[in-house]
Amino acid sequence: MKLNNKFPSATVHFTPYSGIWVRSFILILAISVNGCKKMATVPPPITSISGDNVYQTDATAISVLTGLYSIMASTSNSGGSNGTGSVSFLCGLSADELTLFSGVSGTLASTAYYKNALVGNTTTSTGGEIWNKSYVFIYTCNDAISRISNSTALTPAVKQQLLGEAKFMRAFFYFYLTNLYGNVPLAISNDYTINSTLPRSSSTQVYQQIIADLKDAQNLLSVNYLDASLLKVTTEKVRPTKWAATALLARVYLYTNDPVDAETQASTIINNAAYSLATLNSVFKLNSSEAIWQLQPVVAGHNTEDGWTFILPSGGPNSSTNPVYLTSNILGAFEAADQRKVIGNWINSVTVTGTTYYYPFKYKSATLNASVSEYQMVLRLAEQYLIRAEASAQGGSRGISGAIADLNVIRSRAGLGATTATDKASLLTAIAHERQTELFTEWGDRWFDTKRTGTVDAVMNVAAIGKGITWNSYQQLYPIPLADIQKDPNLTQNTGY
Amino acid sequence: MQFTALYTPKLLAMKLTAILLLGACLTTSARTASQTITLKASRQPLEKVLQDITRQTGYEFLYHPGDVKQASPVTIEVSNLQLTQALDLIFRDQPLRYEISNRTIVVSPKVPVNQPLVTTGADLAPLVNIDVTITVLNTDGQPLEGATIINKQTSKAIGITGLQGRTVLKAIDPNVILEVSFTGYMSQEIKINNRGSLIVRLTVSTSELDEVQIGAYSKITKRFQTGNVTTVKGEDIAKQPVGNPLLALEGQVAGLFVTQNTGVAGGGVTVRIEGQNSIRNGNDPLYVIDGVPYSSQLVSTGMGGGILGNSGAANNGQTSGGVGSPLSYINPSDIDRIEVLKDADATAIYGSLAANGAILITTKRGKSGLTKIDINVQQGWEQVAHKLDMMNTQQYLSMRREAFRNDNLAIPSIVTTPTSTDYDINGLWDSTRNTDWQKVLIGNTGQYSNVNLGISGGNSLVQFNIGGTYHKENSVFPSDFSDQKLGAHFSVNSQSANKKFNMQLTGNYLADNNQLPTTDLTNVAIFTPPDAPPLYNTDGTVNWAPRPSGNASFSNPVALYLQTYQSKTNNLLCNSILSYHLLPELEVRSSFGYTHMQTNIIQELPFNSQRPENQASVGSIGQYAYNTAETWIIEPQISYKKNIKLGRLDVLIGATINQQGYNGQQFTGQGYVSNLVLGDINSAATVTKAGAYYYLYKYNAAFGRINFIRSDKYVFDFTLRQDVSSRFGPSAQKHNFGSGAIGWIFSQEKFVKNSKFLSFGKIRISYGTTGSDQVGDYSFLNLYAAPNGIGVPYQGAGGLAPRGLSNPYIAWEENKKLSTGLNLGFLKDRILLDINYSINSCSNQLLPLMLPAITGFGSINENFPATVQNTSLEFVLNTSNIKGKSFDWSTNVNLTMPRNKLVSFPNLSLASAAYSSTLVIGQPVSIIKAIHFLGVNPATGLYMAADIHGNPTFTPNGVTDKTVLINTLPTFYGGFGNKFTYKGFQLDLFFQFVKQIGYFNLFAPNSYYAGQFSSVASNQMTGVANSHWQKPGDIASFERYTTSFSIPPAFPPGDAGYADASYIRLKNLSFSYTLPAKWISGLHMENFRVYIQAQNLFTITKYKGLDPENQGVNSLPPLRVVTLGLQIGL
Repeated sequence: MKLNNKFPSATVHFTPYSGIWVRSFILILAISVNGCKKMATVPPPITSISGDNVYQTDATAISVLTGLYSIMASTSNSGGSNGTGSVSFLCGLSADELTLFSGVSGTLASTAYYKNALVGNTTTSTGGEIWNKSYVFIYTCNDAISRISNSTALTPAVKQQLLGEAKFMRAFFYFYLTNLYGNVPLAISNDYTINSTLPRSSSTQVYQQIIADLKDAQNLLSVNYLDASLLKVTTEKVRPTKWAATALLARVYLYTNDPVDAETQASTIINNAAYSLATLNSVFKLNSSEAIWQLQPVVAGHNTEDGWTFILPSGGPNSSTNPVYLTSNILGAFEAADQRKVIGNWINSVTVTGTTYYYPFKYKSATLNASVSEYQMVLRLAEQYLIRAEASAQGGSRGISGAIADLNVIRSRAGLGATTATDKASLLTAIAHERQTELFTEWGDRWFDTKRTGTVDAVMNVAAIGKGITWNSYQQLYPIPLADIQKDPNLTQNTGY
Repeated sequence: MQFTALYTPKLLAMKLTAILLLGACLTTSARTASQTITLKASRQPLEKVLQDITRQTGYEFLYHPGDVKQASPVTIEVSNLQLTQALDLIFRDQPLRYEISNRTIVVSPKVPVNQPLVTTGADLAPLVNIDVTITVLNTDGQPLEGATIINKQTSKAIGITGLQGRTVLKAIDPNVILEVSFTGYMSQEIKINNRGSLIVRLTVSTSELDEVQIGAYSKITKRFQTGNVTTVKGEDIAKQPVGNPLLALEGQVAGLFVTQNTGVAGGGVTVRIEGQNSIRNGNDPLYVIDGVPYSSQLVSTGMGGGILGNSGAANNGQTSGGVGSPLSYINPSDIDRIEVLKDADATAIYGSLAANGAILITTKRGKSGLTKIDINVQQGWEQVAHKLDMMNTQQYLSMRREAFRNDNLAIPSIVTTPTSTDYDINGLWDSTRNTDWQKVLIGNTGQYSNVNLGISGGNSLVQFNIGGTYHKENSVFPSDFSDQKLGAHFSVNSQSANKKFNMQLTGNYLADNNQLPTTDLTNVAIFTPPDAPPLYNTDGTVNWAPRPSGNASFSNPVALYLQTYQSKTNNLLCNSILSYHLLPELEVRSSFGYTHMQTNIIQELPFNSQRPENQASVGSIGQYAYNTAETWIIEPQISYKKNIKLGRLDVLIGATINQQGYNGQQFTGQGYVSNLVLGDINSAATVTKAGAYYYLYKYNAAFGRINFIRSDKYVFDFTLRQDVSSRFGPSAQKHNFGSGAIGWIFSQEKFVKNSKFLSFGKIRISYGTTGSDQVGDYSFLNLYAAPNGIGVPYQGAGGLAPRGLSNPYIAWEENKKLSTGLNLGFLKDRILLDINYSINSCSNQLLPLMLPAITGFGSINENFPATVQNTSLEFVLNTSNIKGKSFDWSTNVNLTMPRNKLVSFPNLSLASAAYSSTLVIGQPVSIIKAIHFLGVNPATGLYMAADIHGNPTFTPNGVTDKTVLINTLPTFYGGFGNKFTYKGFQLDLFFQFVKQIGYFNLFAPNSYYAGQFSSVASNQMTGVANSHWQKPGDIASFERYTTSFSIPPAFPPGDAGYADASYIRLKNLSFSYTLPAKWISGLHMENFRVYIQAQNLFTITKYKGLDPENQGVNSLPPLRVVTLGLQIGL
């Protein structure tokens, strides 16, 4: 340092003493510190397990996937499956299914979803809720796939099932990502150096990966529902099976205009005697005969979080826990005789000072500490009928008559007569309509359907009147979070944002 | 059950009892011994007889062992004889004499009779030289080892006192004049006058330069200090009515910037020494209390308590920082002194612990002497000093109506539109009401009470100090919340009779019971519309002002009082130091420290605190947290102090073995039969685990220091430390730190030595490295942990989830500190001026490498080759303006001019866009990038901002259009104090000042813009009404009123949100009167003092918000406290 030179006398005086002492210090320090290093090593905290050890035993390896389902079913998962952050909720708001309570603060993200006014170009951007959560899950799957594949310590049956579950889940999350955001980065490794600079892959490439994963999953996953040991069969339908992979694959083929394969996959499920349609008010019961895959509620005292969010209390909607009710669009879509819209079946209502609010009542329990009677439905048989009906109508081997038969199965359960549609065009319209009334507020089905069938602009221009907005076609894709665009040089924004 | 095991009041009560009992025993043993003695000895060695006398009287003997061994055996039998008479008998036939000095009896050889008696006179030369024994004592009779004896004629040191303060000067000219000096004492000249034995009593130096400063494993006077160290004395802390000792440091120390983040008792305090070194990690100083490291942050409980505010950014690797300040659990009245260590010379021996400086707190010690009892009672009041000028109902409603008009909307009516949420104007609320919510919700006067009891005393072998404290602060909120503390302190020092073995034991215990609301109501108090309904219905129940639907229209703030947050903390700190002198110069010692802090938190959220419509679905919730933090530390040391011819050498070698552990659990209970049992986890129908925390931190080090003072002129100080920390992976666990410093006391040089004006002058320079491991535990490990919030296990099995991306190679942040100082004393040190300048560079910054969410997690920790530089120019001036017989006036001023600069950050714009949005090379790391605000467009009445090209826009880009840089770092800060004493009166005035830019957003203090409305909170300041846009062509400061959220602006006000937040505050006023001793002597009192103290009495500022110190509108400002007190000494 420059300043040192100003004090030459001091430095001179000091030198003879420093040498000896500093040297002996260093010697003593060196001796004492070698022992210290060992003493300053801590094991992982008792609350955690080191990543290297997780995949060394069956129990801990299974816990990772179990943990993933737990998070999906918990309220801490604010993007994905649950409550006011769920796909059902956010896509219901974006589409024409749900009305947002007027008392909800304009600054909340739910307002932006409802007004189709997601923001992608400021730091306070909205629209990334599902994106952010999904990629955490995808990392978990990627890490699991990589480490399970390399692990030699796991029981072969467990290893196979876990690999299947991880691949299935990865496909599951990518399905929602690509439908919500269009082209998305396809992270299939647990290496952040690769993932952090990924460009967006085309939706087609994403679907290719989804299909590959689902085909692998079909081969790997058990045909039976398994308990948490993965070694015993159970009646609890809360872990993915081969049939869950098949059901999702059927949907994916339908979305990718592959009616033949969609029909085949859906048939596998429909022909499986283990599944049958339940009566309207028992569809969403835990382990119902219609369920292909459900999530077990994990919040103490709660049944499903969807029920918790949609079922309105006696005071009607409020700005915090129950901010939505059904739009007149969806209410008007039901045919007169439709049993699903009968109050107390799949729809219920509450009247507050002369105003009647209708709300989804597929899940019926929102009482604190009531015993658990319902599980969160993820994949169910009725959708497979509608997939096959559409696939058959689109050119599948079962043709128009097969399509009509499948459609009527669903209509009949709803108390409706046979469809009047006879040709492909009218049949596709009837199927789309049936999907709207059968699958409302379930996993964004309505939002995805209007987009994939090209009716989104027409539908949303009508819905826009109720919302008091102007619809722009670009809004059918959510914006890529700005934060990620800033961090990943190869990431681009969706047009319009 | 687990809970009962964790919560053990019984155990704590036992600990407390043990401490008090110990104190009681010591009082008895240290009681003044009688002054008459009873002896029976038959041909006993003299030494034994003397020991017996010590036992009976407490008087100490000082003698050279050789002298006493030569003494004849003693035969004596006396009973109840006066001490002096007995001694006369004993020494009558001995070759020894005695002299009583205070409570010490010095025994020395009688002047040999065969030595020539020489009378003074020049004609008698040459004189016969004699041997002289010199014993140097302080005024308490304690021997001073290491005092220097200088021959005044030759200016040469001819002796240094050794054990028992003695030295023998061989064959010395009996007429020579000697100068006896000892650091910290006034030098004294003596003439030998042919005496063979001399006792020299030195009185403590009154110069501030000779005050001993406590450093890292060291003590040195300011005179020879080579580091940048500031001492704040206990008396200056005692003058300030504060619950947290850190608050007593505000403005007192150059280079130290303290921010009180909230006025809530027990709230967070941010402390920065010479700036922010780390961009992302901990910037807290190291706190050391009686030698034991103390945490700078409380661990997050993960629930509630947000009202307490944080103490700066978290540093323990948690997602959210802890709330409150751990120093709240240290009783300010137990503190004897606080040392603030700033530069590398002072802190490098702490290695990685003190990259951001260190604050050493020393608690009170006993002093030998009569047992003293000190009682101090203080009662006061506290309140919010400044309110915001918000609109009244008339102004408010007129704003609201205008907003509807502007938007071409009819004013809604609850009758025709029951769903309307504009309750303030739609007829639901009584629009004739006008409430000053600040007065109602934060306008109360809180009580401040403090009672201290201190007992101290001892003899030359045992000294003790025991203290007890009760402290209570009520809140300014209109409900019965309070923070109560009960504390005990003890300190015992004990020496063996031969003074070789020394033991010191210190204990501090504090039980805190902080009962708070869960929410700080400051924000609500400011923004609640003035026409909001009354808080209570006529029947005393909470008024929800129901809408026709029955749902609440009013988020009634009193409902929040029903939600209580009770934090009970027991804090125990113990430290003992054992030392033994193997040789007079060589001491081995070891300190053993232990701290234990246990916090139990109960948060009660009764169903009726929820809006009526949510009460059923939410239900009553009880939340419980049990946290324990434990630290132990062992520090063995060897020190070698030798006075050699060239000067004084002080060498220290030591090691540290330290372990800090933390664990905590949280539970949530639901389904209670009654709200009365919400505090009982056992009464919950369901209990859910809400998280578990566990951290273990191990830290070891070896360290050494050499300090050498040559001829009282040159001081050299070198330190070295090697650290091993468990916070880093195997590849980066070890690190070396060191420093070197040189001080040149040029006033000892001949050319200035006899200057009348300049009495002291020193230049010092130091350079060294320190590091920081405040990066959180385990962050280098790839961990999987149970996910939070899972109340019911999935399939009955536990889950695991990855905690984040891990980097095993992360390493230390390194801080290189260069510090220079000039210390000057003028006019016999009546004016002392210190100027310090330091340059600190912190490199190898450990930062989260920001990753896109597509990697699964937002970041991974990496060491960046980025450097942050802090410079600090500090001035300290202490003057004794008037020193009269009955009137004294002294002044102290300190001024700090800090600079902070991001020197380098390679690829700032490319590699990490996340940082380029907040960091700018060449600017402080705390720089704020903001949009340039262009005011209101006269045509449209909407806000405009400048885009990147400077063109006006209504929709600026929140990223690219941030063209303005705002530096919120203080330009300078400091304090200015005056102390006046006149007879028994003493007046202290201390001003604190800060020059800075701060945040206060008049446009949208609560994220709503002027005229925009939310059913929760939307009142505006009156200034808005006076200057808002009304019609095209208006030149206005505020945009046109609107009811809609979606109308622009959707951008923050940018640079318009920042304004001058400089202030000068009368931080402390203390006025006391001590009754003259003769008035009270009849009452058996030693001291009787009445006083008035005031904290934050007034503030001079242009700042428009509540307070320029904690800024913003979401937390209570620092309160004004005024107390009256009475101190009695017995």
